[in-house]
Amino acid sequence: MTLIVRSESPSPDRSTVWLEGRLDAATYAAFDEALRDVTPLLDNGGTLVIDLSALEYISSAGLRSLAQLRKQVHDRDGRTLLVNPQPQVKKVFDIVKAVPVAEVFASVGELDQYLDHMQRQMTAPGG
Amino acid sequence: MRLRIPNRLEDVFLALDRAEGALDRAEVDASCRADVRLVLEELLVNTVRHGYPDGRDGNIDIRLEVEADVVHLELRDDAMPFDPLQREPPDLPGDIARRDIGGLGLHLARSIASEFHYARDAHGNRVVIRFDPSDEPAL
Repeated sequence: MTLIVRSESPSPDRSTVWLEGRLDAATYAAFDEALRDVTPLLDNGGTLVIDLSALEYISSAGLRSLAQLRKQVHDRDGRTLLVNPQPQVKKVFDIVKAVPVAEVFASVGELDQYLDHMQRQMTAPGG
Repeated sequence: MRLRIPNRLEDVFLALDRAEGALDRAEVDASCRADVRLVLEELLVNTVRHGYPDGRDGNIDIRLEVEADVVHLELRDDAMPFDPLQREPPDLPGDIARRDIGGLGLHLARSIASEFHYARDAHGNRVVIRFDPSDEPAL
């Protein structure tokens, strides 16, 4: 199995990318290529959600791609949030302390709650 | 499983699939299969990319054996001398986007393996690795 990348950019402040299969030294270039079309759709300060529910496997080559992507979004004042890493991916993240724990969510529901909370904080009077 | 592959990236990935198939047939659990695949990918990709700086053709021998839930892996190559255990562990600041990323692959391989030995003899580099299915990596 290789890698399948799907994406949806319903609004300029949020894009979601779904990964399926393996993100490794054989597939990272396809991932980089696919994301080159997605990131320009995101406003400065926007949120890029990467759904890892169907990603079975990641290696250091995949970690490098994710890191570059996070840096690229971060440099435009945006953030990258990761959802639902599976056991192998979670193990690899843990070993290399890949991402701040606050940016990884166990489920889409948990992520939505967090984003709603952030939204309310930004719009609350005196906020 | 015994396999000899040329030092090319496409052959590395064919070998990974063969190895995973062999482990599957030996009823090794999914988590241990993924561990073996990761260690194999990191070490083989590293050897192919950096082991032959003069661009010559080389060979890598892979031996994989399962014995009472323990997986034994042996890799031999004719690349330039390289001991993966001599590399310093990378600095891990808790956000890979903030650091220059090198050495992550070897760090992963060493962390996931239950035992990791290196030797160099007249044939070249030799790495012997053991995977215990129940082992959790040292964090």
